Amino acid sequence: MSHPDDALQGADATASAPAVRLSSITKRYGPVTACADVDLELIAGEIHGVLGENGAGKSTLMKILIGLVQPDDGTITIAGSDTVIHDPQTAADLGVGMVHQHLSLVESLTVWENVLLGDHRRFDRRAARDQVAATAEHYGLDIDPDAHVSDLSAGLRQRVELIKCLRRDPRILILDEPTSVLTPAESEQLFATLRDVVAREQRAVALVSHKLAEVLHATDTVTIMRQGRVVEQARTVGTTASSLARAMVGRDVSLRTSAAALGATDELTNAPVAVTRSFDDRPEVLRIDSACLVRGGVTVLHDLSIRVRAGEIVGVAGVEGNGQRELGDVMSSLVTLDDGTVTVGGTAVRTGRAGAMARAGVAVIPEDRHDSGCVLTMSVADNLLLDRIDSVARGGLISRAEQRRVATDLMREFDVQGAGPDSLFGSLSGGNQQRVVLAREMSSSPKVLVAAQPTRGLDVGAIEYMSSRLRAAAESGIAVLLISTELEEILDLSDRIVVLSRGRVMGELLRSEATSERLGLLLGGIAAEPNPTGGSHGSS
Amino acid sequence: MARPDRAALRRAAVLIGLYILSVTVALVLSAMLIAITGGPWRGVLNALLDGAIRKPGRWGDTLAEATPLLIVALGAIVSARAGLVNIGQEGQLAVGAAAATYVATHNSGAIAVVGALLAGFVGGAIWAGIAALLKYWRKVPEVITTLLLVFIASQGTGYLLTRTFLLLDDDPNKPNRVQTSAQLDTSTRIGYIRIFGNEFPWSVVAALALALAVSVVLHRTTWGFRLTVLGRNARTAQRIGVPVVIAGATALALSGAFAGLAGAVMLTAGTANYRFTPGFANNVGWEGLLVALVARNRPLACIPIAIIFGALRTGSGFLAATGVERSIVDVVRSLLVLALLVPPAVAMMRSRRVAPPPAAAAHNEPVVAVVTA
Repeated sequence: MSHPDDALQGADATASAPAVRLSSITKRYGPVTACADVDLELIAGEIHGVLGENGAGKSTLMKILIGLVQPDDGTITIAGSDTVIHDPQTAADLGVGMVHQHLSLVESLTVWENVLLGDHRRFDRRAARDQVAATAEHYGLDIDPDAHVSDLSAGLRQRVELIKCLRRDPRILILDEPTSVLTPAESEQLFATLRDVVAREQRAVALVSHKLAEVLHATDTVTIMRQGRVVEQARTVGTTASSLARAMVGRDVSLRTSAAALGATDELTNAPVAVTRSFDDRPEVLRIDSACLVRGGVTVLHDLSIRVRAGEIVGVAGVEGNGQRELGDVMSSLVTLDDGTVTVGGTAVRTGRAGAMARAGVAVIPEDRHDSGCVLTMSVADNLLLDRIDSVARGGLISRAEQRRVATDLMREFDVQGAGPDSLFGSLSGGNQQRVVLAREMSSSPKVLVAAQPTRGLDVGAIEYMSSRLRAAAESGIAVLLISTELEEILDLSDRIVVLSRGRVMGELLRSEATSERLGLLLGGIAAEPNPTGGSHGSS
Repeated sequence: MARPDRAALRRAAVLIGLYILSVTVALVLSAMLIAITGGPWRGVLNALLDGAIRKPGRWGDTLAEATPLLIVALGAIVSARAGLVNIGQEGQLAVGAAAATYVATHNSGAIAVVGALLAGFVGGAIWAGIAALLKYWRKVPEVITTLLLVFIASQGTGYLLTRTFLLLDDDPNKPNRVQTSAQLDTSTRIGYIRIFGNEFPWSVVAALALALAVSVVLHRTTWGFRLTVLGRNARTAQRIGVPVVIAGATALALSGAFAGLAGAVMLTAGTANYRFTPGFANNVGWEGLLVALVARNRPLACIPIAIIFGALRTGSGFLAATGVERSIVDVVRSLLVLALLVPPAVAMMRSRRVAPPPAAAAHNEPVVAVVTA
């Protein structure tokens, strides 16, 4: 492929007039500096990667460019003239468009209606619909304009967002973590479209990401941010995964951890796997048998069976929205199965009965801790002892001194920082909140640990910590069920991998058998072959 | 816990300023209204203060008026703690009072007083229990059912007063067939404490103890802890083993029970001349709810607020005696109640508008993204 060289030449030719120049941008939130003296140039005809950990300031920078956040200092120059971007409308008028990380589509409307949403002009329905179809076709974004968004997969929804953005013909296109809900194949397709858009129409693209692999694959130039500052700017061809990782984290990190945290699936799948341990002689601690769950007429869990033995980490992989949330809810006693059983340590547990799973020894780190893992408006000490407040009470009366003592010990053991036991849980940072949840769940000496998206939204340090805790839990004999949409996390931690698609188990692999390709096929809903020795698939 | 920082002090100052402003505005509007309708407008504030505390024997009356308000408010706090909105206290109070009347007029002696209070407690609990049943069996929002049950309670207790075998007074010497119950026998009345030329029923002391008890139960016991978890995050509660239906239904029934108890206290303490009548509840249920609102659901804060609301009731009664029309007096009282409600509401809106703490803003990107998207 010769395109990096082409891009390099193209960049040289147009370097005199970047599409956007951000100079000395600074933004503070109280004592925290989100962006410190940041310079960034986006050049027409180039994809510019903005790489950094969570909280490095990438999103803030992009919000400044789109007018959602006003900088405290610095200037924005678009097409050679200084501008002030008050709001997203001004940004749109200047030709800046953004595809947000969180999709903002109206599910009950059709594709073309969603694309036109927010337009102020009067329009003719038929013409408008045709125009949307034409835009989609022009960019090779195959989609039915009359389909309802609620029927679309995450990948297609992302496509709608992209069409919505491209229809306004932006000269500058910002994509904020666009692949977080996509399968590897869908991501690849997205990048192919982007390269095409850039090459044919000389648009400037900023790709915000914390995944090394996609920055290496898709970008021409890369800016690496750390703690609000630009630490490195370079042509992508001159970088490697490890050099990017080092710049991003600010120190050398082990390849495995950095690969897991930063999204380099290939490095993980190609890395030699430690000798696969056998768990056949260990007792089956968790058995989910033929679980069925129907919600609103849709079968969200379909004849799902998963077993986890003591000391084993079983990873449940899958694209978001394929039953992971419901599986987590079942293990949190939040829903009642329509059919099937859950057995913990040899005893059947009634699903959907308040606290039954917790009493049976199931600890849960929930997918959305704000949803079922904590109470934001209660103190850290309260949250640490949520399920066993009785242990610090006598005759029903809580001893605050005793509670504070136990809480302080737990906070020390699990390294919860920046708060005291009386601080409001909601005032903690995400990483520390997650540590509080972990501390509570692990200190209840569980038999089973269900960790759903345990590292979502955490920075590399916190991810490292969480990963080592999960490994330690398994080594101590706990059966660990890891539910994650991050393939890297699954590959990094699991002994065995179960792939979920539309509420079914599509396939089950030992870690040593897992390759990106096989996982990718399973994720896309193509079942594992009955006999996985043959190289070709789907031919029979 | 945290030392009062400058921001907290400023918020308190703003709140006090708002109270002074809103009460002043309410008083000026009241005076204007009385002047327009040809009443003695100059003396509004004086008449209110005279009636509430200054004249002999008045503060005892104020405390007696405040007692049922306080009990109702405490009940409202219990259900609010569990995340449930009970706004049917007016009806629960009437049902409780009717049940208490039945017990008190069919028995005598101290045991009848206890029985009447217990009947009021149970009556209110059953009335709120209907709403709990509908909520957890049929998913009908309790806000709607508790409210509508007020109207059924008012018609239902009215019917009880049309039959002598139920509640209607069967005294043959009664001048007309108005709907009132028999008057309670002197042996079935709550005793009075006489102090400094004032007198008030024992129930005042009991209600203060109740406020303390509710405060301790909600803030210091494991039951209160679980109820709080339920109210603030029902899914977390379910996960850690709080039986959502049982705990929620208990909280709702308990809040109705408090309202019913308040009705029984009003009856046996003679607020309405020891008789049950169709208009018996007399807005005490609604105003008790407002007390809880102004006190921001803090049990002990309800005590002073309930006394202020009680003072408004006695004060406005006195205002009527100075020759101001009764309906105008009602408007004046409503204006003053509004004046008490506005500052905490404004404070609440201001605190919501304040940006999240910087730590959360910087480290919790997804949250920020949702807000700005």
